[in-house]
Amino acid sequence: MIMHPAVISLFVGSVLVCLMVLYSARYGATILTRWDLRSGSELQLTLERKTYLISTIMSYVFVFQLFSLFLFIFTADKLSTLFTGAMCAAGTLNVNNFGYPTMVLKVINFILGGMWLVLNHADNRAFDYPLIKKKYLLLMAIAPFVIAETIVQGAYFLNLKAHVITSCCGSLFSTEGEGIQAGLAGFPVIPMKILFYGAMGLTCLAGLYFYIKGRATGVFFSLMSIVTFGVSVAALISFISVYFYELPTHHCPFCILQGEYHYAGYPLYLALLCGAVGGTGVGTLFPFRKIESLKDAIPLIQKRLTLMTLLSYLLFTAVTTGAIIFTDFRLDGY
Amino acid sequence: MIELQRVTKVFNKGNSNEFVAVDDISLTIDPADISVLKGPSGAGKTTVLSVIGAMTKPTEGRVFIDGREITSLPERFLTGIRRKTFGFIFQQFNLIKGITALENVMIPSYPSGEKHSSLKKRAMDLLQILSLSGKAMSKIEWLSGGEAQRVAIARALINNPEIIIADEPTAHLDTKLSEEFIGIMAALNKEGKGVVIASHDPLIYGAKVVDTVVEIRDGRIVDKEERL
Amino acid sequence: MAWIEKQRNILDFALSSLVRRWGKNLALVMVYTVIVFVLASILFMTHSIKREASLILRGSPEIVVQRILAGRHDLTPGRYIEKLAKIPGVREVKGRLWGYYYEPSTGANYTMIVTDEHRENVGTIAIGAGVARSSDVREGDMIPFRSSDGSYVSFEVTGVLTPESELVASDVIEVSERDFRSLFAMPEGYFTDLTLKVRNRKEVVVVADKIRRLLPDTRPILRDEILRTYDAIFDWRSGLLIVVFTGAILAFSIFSWDKATSLSFEEKKEMGVLKAVGWETSEVIAMKSWEGIVVSLTSFLLGVILAYMHVFFGSSILFMPVLKGWSVLYPHFKLVPYVDPYQLAALFFLTVVPYTAATIIPSWRAAIIDPDSVMRL
Repeated sequence: MIMHPAVISLFVGSVLVCLMVLYSARYGATILTRWDLRSGSELQLTLERKTYLISTIMSYVFVFQLFSLFLFIFTADKLSTLFTGAMCAAGTLNVNNFGYPTMVLKVINFILGGMWLVLNHADNRAFDYPLIKKKYLLLMAIAPFVIAETIVQGAYFLNLKAHVITSCCGSLFSTEGEGIQAGLAGFPVIPMKILFYGAMGLTCLAGLYFYIKGRATGVFFSLMSIVTFGVSVAALISFISVYFYELPTHHCPFCILQGEYHYAGYPLYLALLCGAVGGTGVGTLFPFRKIESLKDAIPLIQKRLTLMTLLSYLLFTAVTTGAIIFTDFRLDGY
Repeated sequence: MIELQRVTKVFNKGNSNEFVAVDDISLTIDPADISVLKGPSGAGKTTVLSVIGAMTKPTEGRVFIDGREITSLPERFLTGIRRKTFGFIFQQFNLIKGITALENVMIPSYPSGEKHSSLKKRAMDLLQILSLSGKAMSKIEWLSGGEAQRVAIARALINNPEIIIADEPTAHLDTKLSEEFIGIMAALNKEGKGVVIASHDPLIYGAKVVDTVVEIRDGRIVDKEERL
Repeated sequence: MAWIEKQRNILDFALSSLVRRWGKNLALVMVYTVIVFVLASILFMTHSIKREASLILRGSPEIVVQRILAGRHDLTPGRYIEKLAKIPGVREVKGRLWGYYYEPSTGANYTMIVTDEHRENVGTIAIGAGVARSSDVREGDMIPFRSSDGSYVSFEVTGVLTPESELVASDVIEVSERDFRSLFAMPEGYFTDLTLKVRNRKEVVVVADKIRRLLPDTRPILRDEILRTYDAIFDWRSGLLIVVFTGAILAFSIFSWDKATSLSFEEKKEMGVLKAVGWETSEVIAMKSWEGIVVSLTSFLLGVILAYMHVFFGSSILFMPVLKGWSVLYPHFKLVPYVDPYQLAALFFLTVVPYTAATIIPSWRAAIIDPDSVMRL
């Protein structure tokens, strides 16, 4: 294990979050079995009070998850000097088999946490706790992911051995390599551009229609927003990054987070994550639109989430398109 | 209209120190009246008052405010309704020490999201009506008993509630201040606010302005007197 | 925005509540600040040292070649220079002369080195600032050295080195080549090691590989490897210190848990009043969270600022011995102020997350007090 300050703080932080989520899940289980709104019993009163604690914990966890994702990548980036062949986060994450899974789990947990908060927010708008069981069922589903993240991250840090020869973004995300990353990097640019702008356009149109008219394109919008999230990351690796680096062969999705590129990666990834949370949130709420006590609240929340996703995705598109147009660098011929 | 239907409140249920504070009470309160709950201390007046004021959920029975059942509402909605409907005056006033009279008056409205400046103006207006504008910036511990009482009344009024609820408001006041209190309550009642007071002070339940007196003993209603 | 106004009002009340109990909160802020200060000092210090070291090494040769005899570093014959110079891609090969000299009177170990600037200046030396301090000499003084045959030789100090970084050059003594060889009885035609400059950075590994095949009794050391080792050692040391201080963080978390749990009668009553006059549980939790945020940010900023002054203006008097190691020559060095957002993020994680985790349940517990409790007092 590498005794790096940030490694220690990530490790401690994730263990704490894991404990808090387990604590919440324990009361979640009691709520699932013993919840009875009509009862004025002590247990029911206690459980109702616990819901306040759990909402608070989950909001903190959500914020923590976001910070920890970025700190994790940042740390991987800093540690790259310790590994032969690593020049940025891409190489460090590749040192053992747990690096990329940790990162993916962090993203998943962030989105799941967002889903839970959306559900919680909607539930709090109704007089009769209509979503209480669903909410805590989701919490029970989230808990294993959070535990998994802590374990996988722990395994990653424990197995970080300096002097391991790894391959870095140059070879991982190069057009000649093998594997998913290289596949993405080597994907022909023109189809990728069409795919990206197509997906973005469709999502935004569907979202706009849903925002103005309600219903109709909502489910489609929600699904598309998730697809667009994936497509955007792929596009980032395939061609967007190249414009930021002004190097036709550099496809790294992490270097863009560094100061040399004005930390452009942060707003970009933040926009994508916000968009994904908003989109999944809209989708999560659809099954509950018919619930009497939520009839008025849900469309309103969905509208707001849609707006958030639209703005986030538009920001992403605007910044990346701006970078493509305004750099002197041209990708023609590659 | 506030309606209590067969309300029972048990504390520490199932434990050896189980205690039935309110036993199967049904009661209707007219928000146009000044109503007094009378009875010796420990009779359950305060508990009935807090059930009326939606502060305590009854163990059994149901409570309706303007025809709406509130017993099964989650706390966050109950609080919202309570905030709009009731203003509370407590036995020892329960003002927060260390901050000014003005801030004390504003506190109940903080969560409403009203702009600080407009809230402050409303609070100052209330203090002026109660002839306290000179004391607005004084800390609570520097106020006299009568001034503290009026700050407590101003605080109860800040959310412009329909009904004022007061729990033994005169317990620590001399006769003059007690009469002043009931005078203010009568004036508020004339402006259309309902008043519910729990008290065993004859000055209160014997006052001419009182419309209804409900006598409570051992958690039950033993007498109800409507004065016309 | 009603939501913002609401949070503003609640924050307003949280601030006034903090100020009202300033004694208790001051104690909390002080302990919190000390924790942040200690951790921030460690982080700032290691980071700056690492940065300094890498700045120095940037100017050093890409490859150093040492001759190995029975696994030990041995003198390198001068004829290797020509052999190495013939490797394609190598721009320049030089022999280096350096060694250690133990001075019993001060108990210090000096690094004697022959530099290009001082190669010909026979009979004189230039010394690092640390050497000047420890043996209390100035320009123009004579310093005696005990040579390998037991006799004493005196050199005149002609300069005190004022390098950009005191950390590395503080214990250095520059001598001429002739004096060096006679002092240590080093045979002509031999060097301590050789340095290579390579035309293209990317070819360093290839060149190193060729050296190993061409001269099997040598060991090429790459600059990047040294940098990596530096990084690893300093990260490891600061990590170790932080592990030591996790005990302190734990104690602090328990302290803040305790502070948050043990509410005075007055405070409990206040919560009760808030609930009674129409605050909702989540609003009281929000108030408590604001309190926590204010306390955290205040302590964090204070701790960071104090640590910054400690490390960059106060020469890290408190922790330097631990981090710098065993040298007797504590360089009075001033690090170049440099803080990157990453360190602050790590620090924030190390301090604010445990504090928040420790206070979340006590805050909630304070907030769920029954609204009618004030009527039952």
